[in-house]
Amino acid sequence: MRAPSADDLREGVTAALPVMMGYVAIGVPCGVMAAEVGLSPAVAFLLSATFYSGAGQFMMASLALAGTPVLSMVASVALVSTRQLLYSAALSPYVSDAPRPLAALFAATVTDESFGVNMDRFAGDGAWSTERATVVNAASMLSWAAANALGALVGPALAIPTAIMSFAMTAIFICLLAGQRWTRVTAVVAATSAAAVVALKLLGSGSLSVLLGAVAGVLAGLVAGAVGREGGDAR
Amino acid sequence: MSSTDFLVFYVCVLAVILACRCVPLLALGGRALSPRVSEALGLIPPAAFAALVANDLFDPATAPNVPALLAAGVVVLVARRTGSLIWCALVGMGAFALLELAL
Repeated sequence: MRAPSADDLREGVTAALPVMMGYVAIGVPCGVMAAEVGLSPAVAFLLSATFYSGAGQFMMASLALAGTPVLSMVASVALVSTRQLLYSAALSPYVSDAPRPLAALFAATVTDESFGVNMDRFAGDGAWSTERATVVNAASMLSWAAANALGALVGPALAIPTAIMSFAMTAIFICLLAGQRWTRVTAVVAATSAAAVVALKLLGSGSLSVLLGAVAGVLAGLVAGAVGREGGDAR
Repeated sequence: MSSTDFLVFYVCVLAVILACRCVPLLALGGRALSPRVSEALGLIPPAAFAALVANDLFDPATAPNVPALLAAGVVVLVARRTGSLIWCALVGMGAFALLELAL
């Protein structure tokens, strides 16, 4: 595994810059929430550098503040992370020739945003390499972790209401949902998941509602897809 | 959250996150998934995000959270126009804060 060249660093950081700026803007409120849960700036940095998941970290903080049991927190945050399976599978062909340690480092540092940046580059830039893609991931990760540590450090001084900061997480989920490729099956999946969550909350399922609601949505989508294929409508 | 709870949470979630990020990429080595597995995996994101949004916005035990619902509508518009997570988060927080004050 070779170290990234000066060109790799320059190209990678240039490509990552918009993501890094955005991560600073949203990482500080995330760090503020981490401080409210009781995390020190150092722990917030470590957590952010290893989890490296805005949605997961906002969710962790809001669930912890709500007094959610730890196993439910694990299930909920893990559920949010399952979309990474798709990113990982989609990126696999582009890094198949890279050394395994580099491929592992690259894979471990993919996020929604860096996935988008690197997929664009891999598809449209013949010179784009696993080294440059990993620089994008690492630079973005460092900006995210630093912003979180800063937020945890100045948290009490900012005093942003928790409900407002939590809404950042809701907004992220809405954006990720809106950004899906919308077909009839997608609509069935989303409607079923949402309806199942509300119904399960009515029945008192609490934080398990999200997991069970999503499973119901996937099953409904598989059925809708099969029915569509039988009827000759693949969409 | 106690230190033990945090440690359990951290180790479990980190293991899941790393597995989700690394296993498909390393295991596939560029090979394609079967159509059925791809279909099921492809349905996870909309299912998960719809469930999470519904969980945040709807609580059958309380009255509808009008500021949150209106702010969510604003976020949908921003998402469709920009596709940016960052803009959605910032505009969403701003819209929610303003609507909380106004309503």
